[in-house]
Amino acid sequence: MLRNNRPAASAANLPRPKAALTLGFTLLVTLAACALLLQAGDSPPDRVPSNVAWTPETIAAASSGDAFRGLLLAKRCGHCHGDEGFSARASTPNLAGLNKLAIWKQLEDFRTQKRLSHAMDPIAASLSPRDEADVVAYFSKLPVFTDPQDNRAFPQSRPDQGHAAIATHLVSFGDGERGIPPCQACHGPVAYRPGVPSLMTQNTDYVLIQLEAFANGTRTNDINEPMRTIAALLTEEERKALAEYYGSGLGLQSGSSTSPK
Amino acid sequence: MNWRKLRTLFLWAFALSLIPATRYYQIDVPLLHFLRGHHVDPLSLHLAGEFVENNLGTEQNSDGSVTVRMIAQQYLFIPHCIVVPVGVPVHLRITSADAVHSLTFNGTDDAVKVLPGTVSQTQLQFPKAGDYKTVCREFCGAGHYAMRSEVKVVPRDQFPTLQPGERGTCAAQ
Ligand code: HEC
Ligand code: HEC
Ligand SMILES: [Cu+2]
Repeated sequence: MLRNNRPAASAANLPRPKAALTLGFTLLVTLAACALLLQAGDSPPDRVPSNVAWTPETIAAASSGDAFRGLLLAKRCGHCHGDEGFSARASTPNLAGLNKLAIWKQLEDFRTQKRLSHAMDPIAASLSPRDEADVVAYFSKLPVFTDPQDNRAFPQSRPDQGHAAIATHLVSFGDGERGIPPCQACHGPVAYRPGVPSLMTQNTDYVLIQLEAFANGTRTNDINEPMRTIAALLTEEERKALAEYYGSGLGLQSGSSTSPK
Repeated sequence: MNWRKLRTLFLWAFALSLIPATRYYQIDVPLLHFLRGHHVDPLSLHLAGEFVENNLGTEQNSDGSVTVRMIAQQYLFIPHCIVVPVGVPVHLRITSADAVHSLTFNGTDDAVKVLPGTVSQTQLQFPKAGDYKTVCREFCGAGHYAMRSEVKVVPRDQFPTLQPGERGTCAAQ
């Protein structure tokens, strides 16, 4: 009985002050929610350069291809990259003998639109994960010869004396003052980092285009930014000299292996 | 075990203990972090978490101090050039993507050991404005001797005003 009375009495008192309170409370909650949303809007989304991470599973998946099946798939690539992995156009990369992980990562990045290219994006999108591994196995097995004359459509340009000296120094010593590590510490033949292609039989124009693209931020798929950093530290002339160095086969020395095992 | 043997053992222990006592003063002991859970996966720093690309560089904290996040990898520090204001506490958070590195600043005797899998956190302060070279002092491979970068210490009025999500580097200055 008492209980029945109580709510009735307080309900009679309710209208004004409590309604205002509820209103104020709702307003406060909405404002807080807005503020939170704004805060969330402030922190930009993570920029992920590439979905590839070199875990043991990834490495196993990338290097488990069947080269014979790859040979059949590669019929579609020969038109641009050359039947023997040496392309006719200097702005299209040579793929012969490149490291499996390096080619695989680029295909994966083309497929996931982390590296943009009109020519390659649709082709990579049409390859299944198994196709990728197979075609990679095939191209990595194509031979590269230590005498540049034996490699098709290669070498192209000859650097002048000054350029050759600049490039040779950067490739073997880098520049400690500016913090540029030697190219050969990552691209071989001294050492290879996972997913880093050998440049020893790469085309001049292609190397130059890529260095420029890294430097001005139109290619951003290098994990933890090593190439964007290095390319931006190089001068225009140094980038040219390095492209000529690799494009003319100066990096090829007899006896040096052209790709990591 | 006789005394002779014990003495030789003691002398050897003493001699070996001198090896780490080089010029550089280790201002962070990252081995302890393994007990405290500062774990990160060195292979996937770029995929998610604290060390994604757009979180590297200098962050302005509300108390006036700054936080600097960096990655050490063979053979670069990323970002390659960082900018901090003079005379304010700098909280440095750095991890390695591969080998063991050691971050030192020319002109100071501080050394920060950087191990893959753990975050080294230290607090520094630069009392004088200027450009400091940062050098790796732990042999980390073929390109080790070129592993250098830069810290630009600028007067406070030259330090850019950073929005909450924004990170400062030399390039953005
Ligand atoms: C229409 C011509 C064309 C065809 C066909 C083509 N590519 Fe390409 N590919 C290119 C061009 C052009 C580039 C350079 C892209 C750039 O500049 O970013 C390239 C780049 C690549 C790269 C990156 C190489 C590197 O060193 O970074 C790989 C790997 C590759 N292609 C694999 C393939 C495979 C495998 C096929 C066949 C399934 C194929 N391409 C078919 C034109 C082609
Ligand atoms: C710290 C290691 C490192 C050093 C040193 C380095 N690179 Fe690279 N480079 C890489 C990595 C990693 C990639 C692959 C980027 C990716 O995953 O897309 C790469 C890719 C490239 C490419 C693109 C190749 C292709 O087929 O698409 C060129 C060109 C290149 N580097 C040139 C150079 C030159 C020239 C130097 C010397 C001045 C150099 N790099 C030094 C790590 C390095
Ligand atoms: Cu190092």
